[in-house]
Amino acid sequence: MVQLGNRMRLGPIPNSSRAKDVTNGPKNYIKRRRALIETKGDKTVLRSLSLGGLYGGTAQGMVDVKDGKILRVRPMRFDWKYDRSEVRTWKMEKNGKTLEPRWKSLIGPFSLGYKKRVYSPNRIKYPLIRVDWDPNGERNPQNRGKSKFRRASWDEVTTIIASEIRRIHAQYGVNAILQQGEGHGESKVINTPHGQPGLLLKAMGGFTQQIRNPDSWEGWYWGSKHVWGQGIQGMMFPAGNTVKDCTDHSDMMLFWSCDPETTPWGFTGQFPSRLSFWWKEIGMKQIYICPEVNYGAAVHADKWIPILPNTDAALQLAIAYIWIKEGSYKKDYVATHVVGFDKFSDYVLGKDDGVAKTPEWAAKKCGVPEWTIKAFAREFARKTTSIAHYFGGGMIRGPYSSEPARLECCLLGMQGLGGPGVHQLQITYFGMPRMEGLRSTMFWNPKLSERLAIPIASTIYGWQKSMLSKLQVTTHLKTDEPLEFYGTGAIEAPVSDQFVRYQFPLPEEEQGARIRMIWSDTPCRTTCWNHGHEAQEAYGSAQLETIVIQHPWFENECMLADIVLPANTFMEVDDMLTNIRQSGMLADVMIADKAIEPVGESMSDFEIVVEVAKKLGDGLVEKVTGGFTTETIRKNIFDSMELESLISWEKFREKGYYLYGVAKDWESDPPGFRKFFEDPEKFPLPTPSGKLEFYSEALAKAFPNDLERPPIPKWVESGITHVDERLGGERAKTYSLLLQSNHPRWRTHAQADDITWTREAPTCKVVGEDGYAYEPVWLHPSEAAKRGIVNGEVVKVYNEKGIVLCGAYVTERMRPNVAYVDHGARVDPIILGKVDRGGAINLISPIGSTSKNCLGMASSGYLCEVAKVTPEEWDQWKRENPAAFEREYDKGAGLRFDAWVVKDGGAK
Amino acid sequence: MKAFVMDLSICNGCYCCQIACKDEHCANDWTPYAKPQPDYGQFWLKIKETVRGTVPKVKVSYIPTLCSHCDDAKCMTVCKPNAIYRREDGMVVIDPAKCTGCKLCPDACPSESIYFNEGLNIAQKCTGCAHLLDDGWDVPRCVDACPTEALRFGEESELKELIAKAEPANSGCGAGRLFYLNLPKKFVAGTIYDPVEKEVVIGATCTLKDKNGESHAVETDNFGDFWFNGLPDGHEYSLSIQKGKTAKTIQEISTADDVNLGDIAMRLT
Repeated sequence: MVQLGNRMRLGPIPNSSRAKDVTNGPKNYIKRRRALIETKGDKTVLRSLSLGGLYGGTAQGMVDVKDGKILRVRPMRFDWKYDRSEVRTWKMEKNGKTLEPRWKSLIGPFSLGYKKRVYSPNRIKYPLIRVDWDPNGERNPQNRGKSKFRRASWDEVTTIIASEIRRIHAQYGVNAILQQGEGHGESKVINTPHGQPGLLLKAMGGFTQQIRNPDSWEGWYWGSKHVWGQGIQGMMFPAGNTVKDCTDHSDMMLFWSCDPETTPWGFTGQFPSRLSFWWKEIGMKQIYICPEVNYGAAVHADKWIPILPNTDAALQLAIAYIWIKEGSYKKDYVATHVVGFDKFSDYVLGKDDGVAKTPEWAAKKCGVPEWTIKAFAREFARKTTSIAHYFGGGMIRGPYSSEPARLECCLLGMQGLGGPGVHQLQITYFGMPRMEGLRSTMFWNPKLSERLAIPIASTIYGWQKSMLSKLQVTTHLKTDEPLEFYGTGAIEAPVSDQFVRYQFPLPEEEQGARIRMIWSDTPCRTTCWNHGHEAQEAYGSAQLETIVIQHPWFENECMLADIVLPANTFMEVDDMLTNIRQSGMLADVMIADKAIEPVGESMSDFEIVVEVAKKLGDGLVEKVTGGFTTETIRKNIFDSMELESLISWEKFREKGYYLYGVAKDWESDPPGFRKFFEDPEKFPLPTPSGKLEFYSEALAKAFPNDLERPPIPKWVESGITHVDERLGGERAKTYSLLLQSNHPRWRTHAQADDITWTREAPTCKVVGEDGYAYEPVWLHPSEAAKRGIVNGEVVKVYNEKGIVLCGAYVTERMRPNVAYVDHGARVDPIILGKVDRGGAINLISPIGSTSKNCLGMASSGYLCEVAKVTPEEWDQWKRENPAAFEREYDKGAGLRFDAWVVKDGGAK
Repeated sequence: MKAFVMDLSICNGCYCCQIACKDEHCANDWTPYAKPQPDYGQFWLKIKETVRGTVPKVKVSYIPTLCSHCDDAKCMTVCKPNAIYRREDGMVVIDPAKCTGCKLCPDACPSESIYFNEGLNIAQKCTGCAHLLDDGWDVPRCVDACPTEALRFGEESELKELIAKAEPANSGCGAGRLFYLNLPKKFVAGTIYDPVEKEVVIGATCTLKDKNGESHAVETDNFGDFWFNGLPDGHEYSLSIQKGKTAKTIQEISTADDVNLGDIAMRLT
């Protein structure tokens, strides 16, 4: 037992209390005299329960099935088919404390509750066609989002889709079809939920690819790359072995806009929680810098610094100011590892613009007291410090977020980035101990067949000739002018891409075409991405002749479609997962056998594309399937991972999964930028100068007049893209709060909004007097009192872009001047394009990108107001939009599929 | 006999225990142990979440609450058809076959751990996942789902050392099977700063005293912060702050709630 302060800690778990999985037969079965009923079910299958999509994520789980129904979803026992002695695991030690993997996965609550997602009343049961859309007659685009749907047969819809593709190709060219085939979703490799239509459209000559901007990484992507090079979407990379190095050497960890208790849930699980508790045990200080007491700060913070949204750059500059004034930065390192420091220093000291970036100056911008800023700057310099993120939160997803992202690189650079304990951590997502023999099914594995690589390519690369960022579709639909932009924003695009001029549509001679048809498997644009209300309206454009959406649930844009196709979930198909995203403690490859038969008439996203291919003939089915079967493609994955050197195919099939062991020599892997730290000439960074570029010559040359992303990182009060989004400006007189929006606590982006049991958590939904479960908006008691708002009341969050109704969560976890709403709630329009009841806050986020030359999105840190909804407003909405209030609503799960389908299916 | 021990210092508030219980008992019929609970609305295990303090000194405490499986359960006493029984392992179970729906036990339970299922006309509560324990599982679903091992379950004899240091849950029926380590106590916190220099005051001695001689002393850290943790409920204190020749006192600090004294100005002489 260890006494720690005035808390008692649990010792190691006695063996017989250690939970064992007993569902696989005699080996671990403990006989009881009184077993009255059988509880294990008919079979147990493995899953990755992560929702990041792509090929796997960890968050491994086990699913027990009985009589064709999911009985339960539970953590995976890694020693189900392996003896613990067979697998070498890692261990970290410090100050007499040990951290090692558990033999059970640590999944989050919406993973545990996933059964409710599979059986959600919002599942699309059969194909649908909008009642007033006739491909041979009137299409009525103006009724999208208003008229309902009728049931159709698979035969009817696939015939129509095939015919529409042919017609559009003939009339406008292949690039008139936009594939929205990217994003997050369930983890599957064979039936990956996104990008399958690309297989077909590629075989037919091409298509316009909607580029998926790296929405969780914006500031790093558009900013940090110009300081330290490509990285991974701009975050620090190489990032190997940083968790151990921080454990060994960091005195302090800054969780800067980072919530290790929330964001990891959807990707890998709860290991970061364990790590944070352990770091506290070994004496590492944990400081949280964010506008709200996020869920990590709630239980781990030694100090919370409540900062105003999107003002981090001011705080960062003031820190640099103190360091320069007091000489408390690593001057020798800067001299050998940094270019442009003098220009940067001049700016910080106010030598070029006459404004010294003092703590006093910064306090007025960021809302942190001047004395706290000074103390923080000194502590940061005094203690060996690293900065932790899980993506980057609001700090790098607001207007001008390239700047705070770059400033972080500068601050770390000033303290000897790459030295012992000085890193940027994408916490546990990178930096965990290296696994032996672990190859990659990540996007860049050239051994993967096209069958698997092409769907994913649409999420990762800009790989078609005709490309349009997700963020620009609305603008394209609203303007005749071609769009010009620099950098596609594709996730894996190199830094150099940001200097390349693109246009959409392409010139006529390059087969450019305006968008006439959208084929989407990613109907979450209006809630996950910005300017949702404008996007809703743009979908009603007559230019869009056909909109096809395939998805398991009737969510978000599905109501804007002409044809809706039921896709199924990862419980309903055979697949295989490569759980190699880190922070799962143990990596594995697993066979994921089907758990249950498909719900309704649903098919997998891949099978849907095959059905359409069948109608098109031309040998397209063969081209799409590549001749693979499920079994042969599983073998292809096995081969591309080079697993034969670790386990035979037969043994792997028998066990059902392979558990990687840790590499013997992982501890000696150079951590992060260590090589660059030790010898910047021999191990330069992938920047033009080979060093950290506080001043970017490339930016200066390419964009000499860009005041929003200047050659050195700056505080940008306002600019042409975001003219007035700060407190203290003109608009703030009307919209007096800054909107903070995070990666959601109880969802992964737009996923899992309908899980009954998470909805019962007080911070998940606020049930109004009308029985509707509203998305919470957090308000400090002083802000609520000013507006006469009480806890639990339904309120409107609004700006010029419209109104989103939310439930007030009045709390001291929120600093004043801010309203906080997680993104991703399902859209439920009262008035399409104007008033939403579902709480999809991105409906009112700005249309302007990160900045003029940074094609990212700004979905946090903009102005809004919050107010009571008057009885008159309610009455008017109800009177003028009765349909919106008559929609069937499920008390447990919220929105229902059948609210949008005419009664009795409305068969033609 | 089994016991639950919960270490609240490592509960991260993920709600996995609450959700796992639902996953096991909603839409799953474990007759004769338990019938399904309704799709929503019952919380055989319920997280009690409390926000403590004020900006910027704020913490959140989470306490998973459930039936204590009391040794002298009031529900068993009032049960007319004797439908509530205690097993060898100490788990108290409401037999769904014998329950006649008289509704006395939900009212009798002082900790509100019993729910009434109108549709099935039976009272329902935590069974300790007895159906699983009898079929070879070692722990109930809630414990299995806990990522930090804050929730523990096992033989009382094996958990003896922990139980000795824990507080029994305040079930209202006396002793039971549920124990808590590190139940949240109150804090008093603040920051000291010099309003003229606009600097925090580091290394100031802060002494918190009550009338009865209870005394705690800490020094402000490099942020000028002081925290007094683990204080008893509802005491009244005065705080003396001293740095060099400068001193300041704040009276009437009550720990009826957690206290944030804010940024305290102290001009150093």
